[in-house]
Amino acid sequence: MSDAPHVSNEISRITCHVHHRLSHLVNERLVEIGASSILVESGRSVRQLRRPRPFGLPGKIVRLEDQPVEVFRVTAPRERAHSIMEAVIASADLDQPGRGTVYLQDLVEFRRAAADTHSGDRAESSRPVIGTGATPAAGALNQPNRPVPTLLRDLALITCILSMPGGGQQLARVALDLGTCVPVVTLGTGTGMRDRLGLLRITVPPEKEIVHLIVPAHDCEEIIRILIEEANLNQPGRGFVYQTPVSAGVIDTRLRIGPQEHAASIEQIIAAIDELKGSTAWRKRFVGIEGDETDATLRLLRNNREITVICAEGRAATLVETAIEAGAGGATTSRARRLSSDGPEGGLAARERSTISVQADICKNVVSALLEADSGNEGDADRVQVLEAPAAFTHGT
Amino acid sequence: MPDRERIHIPLPTALQMLGEYARIRIGEQLRSVAFIIIYLLAFQILILRATPADALVIAGGVAMVVVGLTFFLEGLFLGLMPLGERVGLQLPKRSPIILIAMFGLLLGFGSTLAEPAIAALRTAGANVTAWETPLLYLLLERHPQTLVIAIGIGVGIAVAFGMIRFYFGLSLKPFVLTIIPVLLIVSAVLSFDENLSTIVALSWDTGAVTTGPVTVPLVLALGIGVSRATGKSEAAGGGFGIIMLASAFPILSVLVLAIGLSPGVPQPTDETAFFAPDNRNQAIQLFESPQTLARHAFTHGSEAGRRAFFSDDDAYRATLLALREDDELRSTLLGDLTLPQWLSEHASGREQDLFPRARPSAPAPATGQAGTRLGTVLAGEAQLAVRAVVPLSALLLVVLLVLLRDRPRYRDEVVLGIVLALIGMTILTAGIRLGLAPLGDDVGGRLPRVFRAEERSVERIIVEDFDRDLVFESISPDGERRMYFYLHDNREPRRVEFQPERFDPDRDRYVHIVRRPPLFGPQLTAVGIALVFLFAFGMGYGSTLAEPALKALGRTVEEITVGTVKRSSVVRAVSLGVGIGLVAGVARIIYDIPMIWLLAPPYLLLIPLTIWSEEDFAGIAWDSGGVTTGPVTVPLVLAMGLGIGGELGVVDGFGVVSMASVFPILSVSLYGFMIRARQRRSINQAERSDGDE
Repeated sequence: MSDAPHVSNEISRITCHVHHRLSHLVNERLVEIGASSILVESGRSVRQLRRPRPFGLPGKIVRLEDQPVEVFRVTAPRERAHSIMEAVIASADLDQPGRGTVYLQDLVEFRRAAADTHSGDRAESSRPVIGTGATPAAGALNQPNRPVPTLLRDLALITCILSMPGGGQQLARVALDLGTCVPVVTLGTGTGMRDRLGLLRITVPPEKEIVHLIVPAHDCEEIIRILIEEANLNQPGRGFVYQTPVSAGVIDTRLRIGPQEHAASIEQIIAAIDELKGSTAWRKRFVGIEGDETDATLRLLRNNREITVICAEGRAATLVETAIEAGAGGATTSRARRLSSDGPEGGLAARERSTISVQADICKNVVSALLEADSGNEGDADRVQVLEAPAAFTHGT
Repeated sequence: MPDRERIHIPLPTALQMLGEYARIRIGEQLRSVAFIIIYLLAFQILILRATPADALVIAGGVAMVVVGLTFFLEGLFLGLMPLGERVGLQLPKRSPIILIAMFGLLLGFGSTLAEPAIAALRTAGANVTAWETPLLYLLLERHPQTLVIAIGIGVGIAVAFGMIRFYFGLSLKPFVLTIIPVLLIVSAVLSFDENLSTIVALSWDTGAVTTGPVTVPLVLALGIGVSRATGKSEAAGGGFGIIMLASAFPILSVLVLAIGLSPGVPQPTDETAFFAPDNRNQAIQLFESPQTLARHAFTHGSEAGRRAFFSDDDAYRATLLALREDDELRSTLLGDLTLPQWLSEHASGREQDLFPRARPSAPAPATGQAGTRLGTVLAGEAQLAVRAVVPLSALLLVVLLVLLRDRPRYRDEVVLGIVLALIGMTILTAGIRLGLAPLGDDVGGRLPRVFRAEERSVERIIVEDFDRDLVFESISPDGERRMYFYLHDNREPRRVEFQPERFDPDRDRYVHIVRRPPLFGPQLTAVGIALVFLFAFGMGYGSTLAEPALKALGRTVEEITVGTVKRSSVVRAVSLGVGIGLVAGVARIIYDIPMIWLLAPPYLLLIPLTIWSEEDFAGIAWDSGGVTTGPVTVPLVLAMGLGIGGELGVVDGFGVVSMASVFPILSVSLYGFMIRARQRRSINQAERSDGDE
């Protein structure tokens, strides 16, 4: 089983949360530069809307405002990732607050080493490299006059998977109150304990809300701790949080919308200083509380991995089954669709994306089990991506 | 899926989990039904100042509605919708487009045959007479099967088109922009024909009624599956829009059917001329046999019609008298009615006089024990529920298992879902019949009393041993004289106008007819009209809140937009639209506005709105027009429409339903624009600064 031939590629995944209204710009640009395997998912971003009370009444109305967001995920060879990212940023001016977030994660992708799927993928992803290799970077191709956006380097992604209905909104509120970033919520269905309940499982809603937060890396753990406490994640059946590293990104700082009272909003000021400093380290807020007594009660798992499987719609159930047999605890499956950059091709657009969080020691087993279960269909091959998760928390750890 | 080691849940915990699960869902339905119940009761108690009759039965019926809705929706979400989506996802993978279109055709056709929506139309047309609206009568009474098939073909073509649309990722807009103007133009042209104009309202109602509570969620799920699988959901509006097509095509097919039938159909005439022997050849075309023509005269006509039917007076009298003895004749002429029932409901005074002893007595108690009634209602509704749920789910299952060789992910859930949907639909519709509809009828029936003079029902009081000496005269300032007498029943003496022609000097008998003044006639009061409109609005709003197909749509919308469009707001926008639509529909009945005048403006307004609106919201908006009219709304709305129509002597209650389906499209479109403005909020600053986009 473990000696099944599979190839691993060191690649980068670019994730882009962009406002629904701007998504066509990103979409067209990605197709134009020939990015392969573009996966799109719908989500919503949550911001605070502050505005004065009507009729001149004192005080302000503060409420949460949802906006539709498209989540694009593109994988690319590491050397190409930056140029693609810059192209994406340029396409929809994502370096301006309020438009979206882009970040880059380095990960390892495993594919089954069957000759046909291998070559198919290679051809798909290498052709554009050759195409753009001779020309200037893709970003510069678009708007030559555009300054290269400043990428922040010290970021981390917090992913929260919440089981309670409305849990996403609650967590988003906490994140906004902390002023961390614009939370993006997507939907998924959970598999795990629920399936072992027999028909009684219908009493447990399978719907999960997944909240994605991009935060400064040095504050990440403290933020996780606050989220755990505020969203009661330390109680059973609430959800799961983990952190994954981000190597570079541009974040949306426009947490608040509504009439602006100053020449620049606080978010614009933060964005400007971030850009000047080229990092978010100056924002470090949790100084000297490391080693607090909270550590005793909230022990984070240190050595986790996030495994992502991308497969054709309908296959996720089988694959998750395999993963669970290999030792994984459960998975969250989201629906996505694949945009194909090279015209009509075989295979369908509907894709499922399952994320599985496992301990590092069983990661290998799970990955090989997943690859073993690959259907081997041409053009429809499953992809398994592994990313380390330096901090994770769920009830009972 | 192999059964992994199952977690054993101890019974108390399992019960607790189930209890919590049920509590949340029942609570949700309770809230959605609460509005219409409280509204109806408040209207009855505060404005009509009457206590509801049969409070216990009604309370029981309402409880059944809540439980039924809970079961039915859970069945939809667990079984039918996942099944539909699964089929939709797999279809494009395994079969060519022509097969998918064929499947759509079959599904649409089958769903029309399965869901007894046509029953609602026949209720609306219960008072249709062959002489006033011959074509309508022909369609509803003589060729109901042809009508159903025409509607089925319309829905089938619509679903097939919908599938093709999703498959190729076509926008809904060109469809809307061609179909709607065509329909409007055809309707407008037909409005000039005396006979065909009566069909316009029927056909537009058909469009709204055809898509029932099982079809809508299934077709919606199927469409979402197909459009997800082909990955063109962006252009195709995410799977919405198919209900709109399924509402529009039947309109066209019914209109075409009516045009096809119209050549041989006599023009509308008055009753006497219609039943006259000279007209027999014309009239008989509408009926199967002379007997059914005669029955129509007896059950729908008046004395004048019956007299005209028989060539001479003696034959007429003889037939009437024979009704008492000849059972066969009675069943031929009166159908299911008994002689006393017929006498009290249809016969004129002179005809009643022919049967001195069969004088209409108190109507026999039609209902037996509450228990047996519940039993029969449940049995009847269960049969309809089986008809609506089983064939469609069987079709989907067969296609999935045999044609696509795939299995639903949770087979037990699908089976449970189908069973729950069956149980839920049975309980829901039975509850509506026992609780909600009587309550609605009760209020609807009493509504006119608020602004009527004190005498309220047509009643005949026969005064025996009447003495001319009791009559006294009064005089007006300009010398006009009137005659009155005092009449007392158990209470105070009342002054009653004496009309000489009602006095039969030979038998010393005076027939006093208690006339109620026309409700909306000369005494048309602003307050009265306002109250009727208010009632119509609340009724539409409240009953739509409880509509299961709308809940399925709302939930789908929320899921697809990842919560940026809340299901409660969609439901509220649609309900608001239905409320406004009902006001318009009632206005049509009251003021007798031609249908086309009410249809054209909103639809013409919708055309630019659709062009400007976004693809997904255009689909959602047009779909909400089709989902509004379901098992909760139709009985309540039709009861009200017919009640008011009956007051005014309007022949049919059509048009109300189609109004209730246009205005939601408008309200949801406008809501879509509001959402769009809100969604711009976070990026508009950035847009302003660089001025592109």
